[in-house]
Order: sequence, then structure tokens, then C-alpha cells
Amino acid sequence: MSADGRHEGLAGTPPNPDAALSVRGLTKRFGSFTAVDGIDFDVPRGQIFGFLGPNGSGKTTTIRMLTGTSGPDAGQALVLGEDVINHPERVKQRFGYMSQKFALFEDMTVEENLRFYAGVYDLSPDRFARQREYVLTMADLHGRENELTANLSVGWRQRLALGTATIHEPELLFLDEPTGGVDPVARRQFWDLLYDLAGRGVTLFVTTHYMDEASHCTQLAFIYRGGLIAEGSPHDIRRDAITEQVIEVSVGDVDAALDWLEREPGVEEAYLSGARLHAVIDPAAAGAGTSGAGDPAAVVADYTGRLQRAGFADATLVTVEPTLEDVFVNLVARAQQP
Amino acid sequence: MNALRRIRALIVKEVTHLGRDRRTLAVVLAMPLLQMILFAYAISFDVKNVSTVIIDTDHTPASAAYVDSYASSDFFTVVGTADSLADVDRIFDRNQARIAVVVPSGFGRTLADGGQAVVAVYLDGSEPTAARVGQAFTTALNQVYGQRVTIEWADTQGLDVTSAGQLEPRVRTWYNPDKSSSDFLIPGLIVVIIMVVAVQQTAVSLVREREQGTDEQLAISPLKGWELMIGKLAPWTLLAFAELVAITLVGRWLFDLPLRGSVGVLALGAALFVFCSLGLGLVISALAPTLESANMLGLLLSLLPGFILSGFAFPLSSIPEWLQVVSYLLPARFMVTISRAVFLKGAGFEQVWPELAALAAYAVIVIAVAVLLNARRRR
Repeated sequence: MSADGRHEGLAGTPPNPDAALSVRGLTKRFGSFTAVDGIDFDVPRGQIFGFLGPNGSGKTTTIRMLTGTSGPDAGQALVLGEDVINHPERVKQRFGYMSQKFALFEDMTVEENLRFYAGVYDLSPDRFARQREYVLTMADLHGRENELTANLSVGWRQRLALGTATIHEPELLFLDEPTGGVDPVARRQFWDLLYDLAGRGVTLFVTTHYMDEASHCTQLAFIYRGGLIAEGSPHDIRRDAITEQVIEVSVGDVDAALDWLEREPGVEEAYLSGARLHAVIDPAAAGAGTSGAGDPAAVVADYTGRLQRAGFADATLVTVEPTLEDVFVNLVARAQQP
Repeated sequence: MNALRRIRALIVKEVTHLGRDRRTLAVVLAMPLLQMILFAYAISFDVKNVSTVIIDTDHTPASAAYVDSYASSDFFTVVGTADSLADVDRIFDRNQARIAVVVPSGFGRTLADGGQAVVAVYLDGSEPTAARVGQAFTTALNQVYGQRVTIEWADTQGLDVTSAGQLEPRVRTWYNPDKSSSDFLIPGLIVVIIMVVAVQQTAVSLVREREQGTDEQLAISPLKGWELMIGKLAPWTLLAFAELVAITLVGRWLFDLPLRGSVGVLALGAALFVFCSLGLGLVISALAPTLESANMLGLLLSLLPGFILSGFAFPLSSIPEWLQVVSYLLPARFMVTISRAVFLKGAGFEQVWPELAALAAYAVIVIAVAVLLNARRRR
């Protein structure tokens, strides 16, 4: 079921104390609902680890357990080699956390926010002066130290939140949907800052449901309904998770074409991808009536003909490299099958 | 100590919030004084100068002398005369008078014959306090007047009634001899005000943190649960104490409120009471899903019981029995007792230790419940 079988290999092995994060059989139930269902994974140090999944799939619950704010019902978790479930206080000083809400006090100034978090992490005056300088430079907030954070625009607030979350120079940073509600330009700048942190050796654990952000990560894990359905580098996942051919369809009447594709034999999945349609073709079924079974070009020609006969004269089809979105849709579809 | 530095950072933050939020600051600082002045001046339970209307259908010197005894009393103000009971109805409707005294014809003659004369007194019951007090005053006035009439009559008959056995009650009011309602109200008001400020602000401050997402950020920081509680509660504890001192001082200057008992016991009681109130606020903050509901719950749990279930405005013995039981669930009633005992009765530790013990127990229980609820919320 997994992309490369690696996480299944971890089950039953002891957690790895050398990894930034090492999780075994982590489970969380709310009443009869299992939010996180026995997941296993390792995050080596220095990685940008993307934790992907739709809303409600268990991402935030997992982060809560890994930061020691929520106790799991079963399983083990080592954070920077420490048992975070039973002794969160041993490691709290060494990791940071930033959420979509930014966690800034909007009625306080930039300086006051920095000072408060420095106080909570008990920074020495020297260290605070150094970190303050770093954050102000990083967030481009020099000269605005005495401005209320409520008056900053979203991009600045986001960078300041990153600054306060890293004021104690953590070795590991959890980011829970850090780019939610931020415009694409600010998102791009924010990812540059994350690369910068990774370059300094900080391990990043990022949750997102933006698939374009997933390709920024060095390592990915897909979570769906509380279980991991794939894990690996973006390249490996793309290569291993989909053996089927993905065809991109450009057509005028997208809605009607989508309906038609969903009913057509040989089409495993059809869905919108931007303004176009993606169809995942089962090569065996698709090649059945043609001479060149399994040949991608023949499949494209076959379906172009079928679409035109069905009345979509303007349809043009090309075979595409599966995107992470294709992979994800495919994995979810497979996970939903009984 | 790392913990101390973390708590200091929190206190600085809380004070910054308060300084930025001018409206809340104004409400928290000015409201108590305003409330006190309003309560002590406007909502006075002292009844004096009850407006009275007289119907004298006798028109004799005896009836005139009787009517005059109302006019010359401090407790009644004769606002006019009327001719019939129908007029009284109209006068009551227009709120021109609260009491009507009817002297029937034959009053003077009956008295002269040594008989028992009857007068009718009508009370406007739509204002129970005034009616009750008016009734007491008229009863007293008539007793005194009746006695005088008896003595005068006996004199004319050559008898000495003073030699006859008689019971004369001599009533003295202790602790508040003038029965001044500001003396009665202010010690209770102090309690209500502290409760409202402490419960409300604590409830709101934690829920706001949750809505901002900052509580999550603090929960993953090295800040421990108890450090967070102390850092959050310390500023409000100090503020509640500052208000206690301010209200006491203003009470002394403006209303000559006596402070007869031990200041130490009062401070101890107030400290325990503040902890109880903060604990209640914490419980609300754990239960309330939003800022608005925290505000409403805070108000509901502090203001209403503060007024009704604390003995502040009404004696607790006069509320229904089941409500009396409910009143033990809130700390206000114990503190009102302590406050009045210390201010007015000059009480010390040995007089109010049961209430102090009750408050201490209450504080421990309510803070424990709050910590448990907040911990469960995190799960």
C-alpha cells in the first residue's frame, strides 16, 4: 500500500534516537474516532519533512502529540532523541512551533512580542540582543520595532511569527500550515526563509495541503484518515506511487468532458487540475481494443479519437509526468477502495 | 530561577495588554468607584420623609392634634389632604403619596369618652420597602400617640397610669446605630465589585489567548501550567487589591464608613476571596467556547449571585430556602459576612474564622477544578 514500503519496515523496530523525529505506532483516539492510527516514520536531521494530507486527516493532532501538548493513546515518539510523551520538558527548549494563527499578540509591538518570547525561553540579554537583530533583519522589520503587530500586513506578521518561533534557535521547527491565507509572493519569500533555516541545519516538519509546497520538501509523508499512505522523497513518490499513465486533457467544456471521462472504461480517475483535466488510465484496459497496447502514444491517440467521437471536437490530449497532486488523488482513491 | 524569569515575562505581557486596552482599564478602574457612589447615594434603603396624605373627616381639635403629629415627624411629609378614599386611589396612582391616613368622624368624641378611637392607614404596596417601613413608622407613631392620649385621659380622671405595671421595650441598634444604608451597603459592595472584576477578567483573558492561538504557542514553550496561571492571575490579584483599598478609602472619606475590626483579617479574607473569584474565572474560561460566551458566563456567575446570593442587598434569610443552599456554592456570601463583621462589628480572627476557613476550602477546590478542566481541554 505504501509508495516504497519503508514505513511498514519501521513498524516494530525501536525508535531511532539519532533522528530528529522518530515515531512508532503513534495513535490518538477521540471517543470512537481514531484521529491518528498507528503511524511510524523517521525524520533524519537537517531535512525539510513535508507532512501532507487533507483537512481533518490527523496532521495537527500528530503535531500536538510530537510537541507534548497532547498525550497519545498508544505509541512512542522521540523528539531530538528525547521521549517527548513522558518528558516533554526535557526537549521543549530545543524545538519551536509556528501555526497558521501566527500566535502574535496584536496589541503589542514588534519589540514587545520578541521580548515576551525571549522571556518565555529565558534568553540571556546578550543572546536576546543577537537574536533580535537576526529576526528584525530576517523579517525586514528594522525601523518598525515599535509598531503594533496588528498594523503589520500578513506577510510581515508571518515572518515575525517565524522570528518569534525561532528566537531560541531551535534545532527542530514544527510548522502547522504556516502559509495558510498568505498570497503567493509572500509564500515564495517565506519558503526562502525556510530554506535559509534548513541551510543552518534546522530540521523542519511542515504540514500543508498545498501540493506545490510539497515539492519544496526533501522528504514527504502522506496522511489520510489518520494513516500514512505514502512516504519518500518527492521524486520517489512520483515514480513509485503511480504506474498508470496520466493524460492531460485540454477541452472547452471541461465539466461535460469530466462527466464523460468518469464513465469511460479504462479511466481509473478523472479530476480537474487547474483549468485542465487529468485522467489516470489503466494501461491494460485502455489498450484492449488497439494494436499498440501499453504504448503511451497509442493510448493518447485512442482517447483523442474516443473524445472526438463523443462530441468534444476541440479536445487535445498529452501524456504528462504525474504531479504530486496526481499521486495524492491516486493514493486517496486507492485508500478508499475496500 | 528560570521559572521566575518566565513568570516575569508573562506579567509584563499582561500589564502591557491592560495598558493598551484603555477601555477595559477605564471600566476596571472607574466602574467600582462609580458604582459605589451610585449605590451609596441613589439606591438608599433608608426610608425617610414618606409622603403622606391625610383625610380628616372629624375636624375636631383632637383630630387636628393627631394629624399634626405626622407633620411634625421626620418620617412623614404631609403632602396634602383629601376628601374621600377615591381621591387616595388617584393620589397613589400618580405617586404623589405612599401613605394615606384616614381619621373618621367621631374620633375626637370617642377619645374624650375614654373609648378606643380607630384610624385607618392605607399603604401603597407597590413599593414594598417604603410600605414596610411606612407601616412600622405609623404603628410606632400611633403607639406613642395612643400612650399620650391614655395618660392625658387618666389625668383628667385623676388616675396615675404610670404606677400601673407596664412593659416598655428599649430598642438599640448596634454596629450601625443610625441604620445608615451606606454603612450596610459598602462593605458588601466591595465584595461584589472584586468578584465581578476578578471573575470576568480572568475568564476573558484565557479565552482570548485561546482564540488568538497564543495558548497553543505557550503550551509548547517551556512555560509550565502553574507558571502560566501565576503569571496570568498575579496582575489581576494586585489590581483587585488596589481596588479594595481604593473603595475602602473612598468609603471612609465620603461616607464615614467605620473600619472597626482587624485590617489583617480583612486582607486575609480578601486574598482568599480573590483566589476563589479567579478560580471561578478559570473554570469559566475552561468551559466557554468563545469570548462572548465567556463574557456572558462571567457576568452571569458574578454579577447576579453577587447581588442576590451574597446577602449584599437582601438578607439571605429572606430568600427562598433552595436559593440559600445555592448561595453556599458561591464565595461571595462568606466574604460579605467577613467584610461587614470587620468593618461594622470590629471583628477579628476568632469571630470570622469559620468564614475564612470556608473561603480557603473553596479556593483550593475551585482552583483544583479549574486546573483539571484546563488540562482536560488540552488533551
